[in-house]
This record gives sequence, C-alpha cells and structure tokens, in this order.
Amino acid sequence: MRHGLAAEWQTRFSAAVLFRLRALVALAGLIVVFSILSPAFLTTGNLVILAKHVAINAILAVGMTFVILSGGIDLSVGSVAGLAGMIAGALIHRGLVLPMFGVVVYFHVWLILLMALAAGALIGAVNGLLVSRFRVAPFIATLGMLYMARGLALLSSNGATFPNLAGDPELGNTGFPLLGAATVAGIPLPVWLMILIGAGGAFLAAKTPFGRHVYAVGGKERAAELSGVPVKRVKLMVYMISGVCSATAGLIIASQLVAAHPATGETFELNAIAAVVLGGTSLMGGKGAMGGTIIGASVIGVLSDGLVLLGVSEFWQIVIKGVVIVLAVVADQLQLRF
Amino acid sequence: MKGANPLMPALLLVVLAACSPGPRDRNEEASPKRPGKPLMVIITPSHDNPFFKAEAEAAAARAIELNYETLVLTHDDDANKQDQLVDTAIARKAAAIILDNAGADASIAAVGKAKANGIPCFLIDREINVTGIALAQIVSNNYQGATLAGQEFVRLMGEEGKYAELVGRESDTNAWIRSKGFHDVIDRYPGMRLATRQGANWSQTEGFQKMETIIQAHPDLKGVIAGNDTMAVGAAAALKAAGNSRVIVVGFDGSPDAIAAIKAGRMQATALQPAVRIARMAVEQADMYLKTGSTGQPEKQSVNCELVTPENADRYGLFGPK
Repeated sequence: MRHGLAAEWQTRFSAAVLFRLRALVALAGLIVVFSILSPAFLTTGNLVILAKHVAINAILAVGMTFVILSGGIDLSVGSVAGLAGMIAGALIHRGLVLPMFGVVVYFHVWLILLMALAAGALIGAVNGLLVSRFRVAPFIATLGMLYMARGLALLSSNGATFPNLAGDPELGNTGFPLLGAATVAGIPLPVWLMILIGAGGAFLAAKTPFGRHVYAVGGKERAAELSGVPVKRVKLMVYMISGVCSATAGLIIASQLVAAHPATGETFELNAIAAVVLGGTSLMGGKGAMGGTIIGASVIGVLSDGLVLLGVSEFWQIVIKGVVIVLAVVADQLQLRF
Repeated sequence: MKGANPLMPALLLVVLAACSPGPRDRNEEASPKRPGKPLMVIITPSHDNPFFKAEAEAAAARAIELNYETLVLTHDDDANKQDQLVDTAIARKAAAIILDNAGADASIAAVGKAKANGIPCFLIDREINVTGIALAQIVSNNYQGATLAGQEFVRLMGEEGKYAELVGRESDTNAWIRSKGFHDVIDRYPGMRLATRQGANWSQTEGFQKMETIIQAHPDLKGVIAGNDTMAVGAAAALKAAGNSRVIVVGFDGSPDAIAAIKAGRMQATALQPAVRIARMAVEQADMYLKTGSTGQPEKQSVNCELVTPENADRYGLFGPK
C-alpha cells in the first residue's frame, strides 16, 4: 500500500517535472527533428547565427517577463526598439543640434548608446507612472506608448531610413556597427548580451528583494501592498527594465543592419509575449521564471530558422508558429490543475 | 528609484530635439489657404515608406507649380480611413483627387463617391478593379520591371547557379506579380536553380535574418533576387556581415538605400519604379482635364520601370532620374 502510494507519487512527480520542463522538452525535440531533416542545422555556423536571431527576441522577452510577472503587459517594446535605433541613427548622422548655442555636437558611440538606452528607460518610466500612479490599465497605457514611440521614430527622420551608421572618423563617432558584428571568443556580441541580460534578469528575479516584490505584486497586489511592498515603485521599475531591454534590442538591430529604419520592431511585442508564455510564465502574473523565457525565445528562434533552412513555405511557417503558441497556452492552463 | 534619475527627462528632451527634423518650412500637410485657387487633394499610403513620400511630394510640387492649393493626406492602407479622407475632400470642395489607393476592390466605393460628388479621381501607383469611374489609372509596369530585373539577374549569374528568392507579403498583388515576372524570365534558363523561396514581409530585419539562415543551408548560393529593395538591402547587409561579397543581390523599387548600396558594390541592380514621373503625369492630366474637359489619354496607362546598375546609378535620385 505504502509502496503503491510512493510509486504513484513518483509517476505524478516525474510527470509534473516533465511538464514543467515542457519548453525544454519542446526545444530538444525541435533540435532533434531539424538536425535529422537538414544537415546544415547542427553546424557551428548555423548555431551561432541562430543564437544571434534568438538574442534579439530573448532580450526583449527578459524585460517583458518582469512586466508580466508583476501582472502587467508591455505592448510598446517593438516601437521602443525602433525608436532607440532611430535615436542612435539621428545622433550619428545629424549629431545633436543645439539651436540656442548654434552648434552641432557629435558624440562618441558609447555616449550615443547610453542616450538611446536612457530614452528607453524614460519611456519605460512613463509607462510605469501611467500604470502605477494614474492607474491606467497596462494594456492601454503601453498600447498608447506603442503608437507614440512609433510616431516619434517616424518623425525623427521624417519617415526615412538613416543609412550607413558606420560613423565618420573625422567626427570621432565610428564603431557603432561593432555592437552587432563583433565577436568575443567566437561568439557574437549580441549573444553575450543575451547571456548577460538573461543571467542578470534571472538573478534579479530569483535572488533579490526586488525580485520577490515583483512576484508578490503579480501574485496578489493588495496583499503585497499591505505587507509593505512598495508596489508603485516595483511597477515603475519593471517597465523601466523593459524599456531598457527594448532599446538594447533596437540598438543591436540597427547595428547589424548598419541602418536605422523607423518601422523596425513592428509586431516584436507579440514574439516577446510568445517567448514569455512558452517559457511557462503565467500571463496572470506572479508565476514563472527567467530561464523559461530564454528557452521560450529559443523555441521560437529554432522553429523559424529551422523552417527557413528546410525551405518551408512562409504560410506554413506562420501556421506552425501559431499552433506552437496556442499549445503552450493550453499547457499553461493545464498546469494550473497540477 | 524616485530621486535616482533627475536628469532623465532633460536627457530625453535633448535627444528628441536632436531627432526633430528642423524647421518645417515646407509643411505640405497644411498649406495656407489662398482664396481663389482650386484645391488638389493628394492621398497616399503612409510616408514611412520613402516611395509614397516621394510620390506625394512630387505630386504636391507639380500641383503648386500649376497654381493649385494642395492638401496631402495619408490613409495607411486602411480603406475605411481612405473613405473618410475622400469625405474630407468632398467637404473641402476639391477640384481633383490624386490617389494611391488602399486596395483594388476596397477603394471602388470611395472613388465612386468622389465621382458622384463631381470630383475627378486620378489614380497613381495602384489600379482598382473597375474602369470608368476614375479619370486615369497610371501605374508603373511591375511585371515589365520584374522581367527587367530578372534578365539582369540571369546575366549577372552567367545564366547558371543556385539562387534564393525573397518575396514580399504574399497577400499583396505586387509581391505576386513581381515574383511571376522574375520567374517568367529566370525559369527559361535550365542552369538557374531556385534553392529556396522565402517570404520576408517587405522588411529589412526579416530580409537580414532570413538571408543569414539561407546561406547556412546553401553555402554555394550564387545570387539572391528580392521583391523589393528593403528586403534586398537587408540581405546585402547579412552577406556583408558574413564577409561574403560574391553573392549577387538584385532588388526592386529603386529606393535611395538600394541605389546607395549599388554604388557601394553591396547590391548589383534594381528595377526603379518611376514614382515621381507618374505623380507628375497624374497632376498634369488632372490640370488638363479641369481646363479642357479631357485628359487626352486613355484611362489605363502603364509606365515602364528602368534598370539601375553600377554604371548608371549616378544618374538616378529619389524614384526617378536626377
């Protein structure tokens, strides 16, 4: 009797573990399938490029995870990515025009990156203030920001692309393309950034008081508030983190293309949300982990790159991606019953 | 956190100031009302695509030369918004509408409504699926342009080898027509082998990422032909990042970015759509119609695309010869 119970527990437990790891299982399954179907899949070159493609979505998704864990959503990430690229493009091409002094200042690339990231943080802060102080529903506040940031991106160049962001040695602002193209120990910089941001995000979420507060706010906001969690500040912070992550992704894209296009990042928010959900974070907030998000982003990346390698029609790619996302949400619902 | 970043608002203001386009002395969206001048309303898709911006500005400039007041509006490819803009034109008692429409079927009602209110419509860039309600439908010959690009692609490839195709949003008519034009030429050469055909949604980022993956699957790829220049420029950036300078890149549109890429040797050719010429033609025909009661031209007109190559790239500017 006792033995039977233990066995039953063991089966239930391992099923639950397997279920919790479903994203990892799906990832492993996809890798096996694509390796069999395409000899080009499991090569160093392809895996490096795959990691580079995953990096952009993963970096967006890390910020999105914090927002979703806190019970919110950030629809503005794609527009903010586009705007950050345009800010960098404008600063490299036109410099900073100071009409009151009649001068144009060209900055070093480090400063340009910093200013674009600061703009991301500021937009995140506006989102955060709207949500926490003015009690606007996150969906609405960030939907508004989706339009505002996209409009500003278009205004910044009057709709045009900033081409050739290589900079001018005479102005001392060269080096921007390195962000997307440089490699350290054979691994592209964007992948290192993903590792850094992912690890930092995981540490922040799991090991710090701030992380605990995010889970608390997302789990039960009122209870968190009564037990002394600074709810408003936590909300402000998560949107700022998301803004900085979005700006980082936008800068990487502009750097890789060596051009800033104002429409960059359209529908990125959907890919980021999909990565978070695939990674097992509950859209209701309060439940999930950063590792899952990185795996979720990898699933999406492997899926889209693998299907391109196989030459599957675009239409089927869209259908398959949709099916995977729906299955993940179904699994999310089933998880609640475990 | 609250007091941590007091500098940030100031920073953003500064950054945004850097990004603002400067004094907008040519603000065509709201020309001051000069009484007595007839109004020409110019409606196109969003100006975030330089193509539509170029055609709208060319039409407005020609209309002002011909002594019209202008009103430039955008419909963002939304037929409902287009309908509202036509209502605006009717309310403002426009003399004529120059329209790059929001859908071959979805725009018929709006054009018909303008006609019923006595406002002639002159369509540019895209046709509608009915004749007799617009005074003119002037489009660039996408099929001819695609065969032109296809021929140059075959020549550059030496009539043989593995190539990839990047297609635009496949639900768009132009994506389909351009792809058909490419293949009607390329498929006549048995040595030309299509390695893969991928959609990249007209997007530079997708063109870049798809190209990176495609060269993994097909390291012996010799060329790529793209349904528009945005995707082609993205693909060219991916090839450059991979240190691959032998893959031939051919696009479509004649965008300023592509012409710059051709001059820099990152792309080899593109088919230029004469958007500026078409816009000017439409305005001139509208002027002719308002003065004489006839455009003197058939309703359906098609203007040929031109091939831009490294040899002649210097002669081309914004969607037209300099």
